[in-house]
Amino acid sequence: MLVDSDVHVGYETLLDLCDYLDAPTRELVVHSGTNGLGMPSYPWYHPTGWLRGDTYDRETTDVGAQLPGQDLDRVREKLLDAYDVTYAILTPDEAAAFAILPNAELAARLCRGYNNWLLERYLEEEPRTRGLLVVTPQHPEAAAEEIRRLGPRDEFVGVFLPGGARVPYGSPVHEPLWRACAELGLPVAVHTHFEGVGVAGPVTAAGYPDHYVEYHTLCGAGMCGHFVSILCHGVFERYPETRVIMMEGGLVPFLGLVWRLDTNWRACRSEIPYCRRPPSEYVWEHVRFTSQPLEEPGDERLLLPAIEGLRPWETLCYASDYPHWDFDEPAQTLRRLPAEWRDAVAHANALSFYRLPAPVAA
Amino acid sequence: MTASRPSEARIPLAEAPAAGAVRVVEVGPRRVAVFCVDGQFHALADRCPHRGAPLCSLGQVVTGIEVRNGALATGPPDALVRCPWHKWDFEIATGRCAVDPRLRVRRYTVEVDDDELVVSLSTPR
Repeated sequence: MLVDSDVHVGYETLLDLCDYLDAPTRELVVHSGTNGLGMPSYPWYHPTGWLRGDTYDRETTDVGAQLPGQDLDRVREKLLDAYDVTYAILTPDEAAAFAILPNAELAARLCRGYNNWLLERYLEEEPRTRGLLVVTPQHPEAAAEEIRRLGPRDEFVGVFLPGGARVPYGSPVHEPLWRACAELGLPVAVHTHFEGVGVAGPVTAAGYPDHYVEYHTLCGAGMCGHFVSILCHGVFERYPETRVIMMEGGLVPFLGLVWRLDTNWRACRSEIPYCRRPPSEYVWEHVRFTSQPLEEPGDERLLLPAIEGLRPWETLCYASDYPHWDFDEPAQTLRRLPAEWRDAVAHANALSFYRLPAPVAA
Repeated sequence: MTASRPSEARIPLAEAPAAGAVRVVEVGPRRVAVFCVDGQFHALADRCPHRGAPLCSLGQVVTGIEVRNGALATGPPDALVRCPWHKWDFEIATGRCAVDPRLRVRRYTVEVDDDELVVSLSTPR
């Protein structure tokens, strides 16, 4: 049994969403710019390609296209069937940009269209898929409305938030979003995406990196900010059933943050009295991490000592990041972990986190 | 009695890969990719030694970018094959990985025999 917690899907162009948008938004999508609305995107280009070379048709993709879409048949062939995936948690590609779009009301309408598109094109078509709702953290009330609109459906198992953001996600400005998630029992997935783009702050406080390789090494920094913000604002005290999964931010950096935050909490807890316990205790109970990209130390023997403090047997969920260039193949990933962790990482932790039904044996 | 597997594959010279192209053939149990770099033919296993991807059949033949005498320059044309999964480059002529000296793609023998290329599973001299 295998649950893949990070499978990116997307439309080819925004025009593909037209049938799922309200009429005024459709007009904007068609007539904006010189030939339709475009989304803000990365100022850094991957020098050898964003995607696994065997997951899209390079010849038919527009020159300069950043994140060409995926269709369900290809996802089935290259991932679901190829690796016998029990459940794939579908994460957005370009649609994650709606969450960092300056025009928050337009972004909210695009989110509605995208979520409808995802439901019809993937989730209702393929029972092995489950979706994360794309919402607008820059417009928390609209995000809450969207969570309440589609969150009750079984096809959606959580809410997606990108690492790039205007304000860290623990901040009280996001309270409507957390409240809606708590009402529906939906977890939040924070996934590195669009740091330094749109309304998001810089990738790090050092300023903008020059190269994609710098960006991709640092992109988890935004997630570190959200991680600490969520812990320090007492989200898990206010909403004891809330869960958060940190996607594609690596593992080693989070362990250092947990240790450092526990130390700082002892001296500074009067500043955050609603964080009643050492922050690490909330992590073990409420937070999970996806495996990809599993760190690759030059000496492989260093991997397990570096991550075991994060309790991977309880907290780690396998993810491939299909179809991106740094895809982690499941068998190879699991082989790098001790045998006694593998069932938990391959499926048990994710089944529990997303509250997925265990499949019935054929 | 089991049928013996062929120990070589033959490609008409007229169908041999041009520079920048790849021709994949089955030799016994192996998928072998034939390339042409600077007029010389080379044969590599269609398996990336990093994570097992179909390196040659789905990868790209590319030209490296390097610094020479302090200036940006391109390397030998079409001399690298880039893995489709993690984008690591390998020298077609040697099989060596350009980013990890511990890794090397398995090389096979390819020779011209009259008007054919002959690909075999022996290690090239």
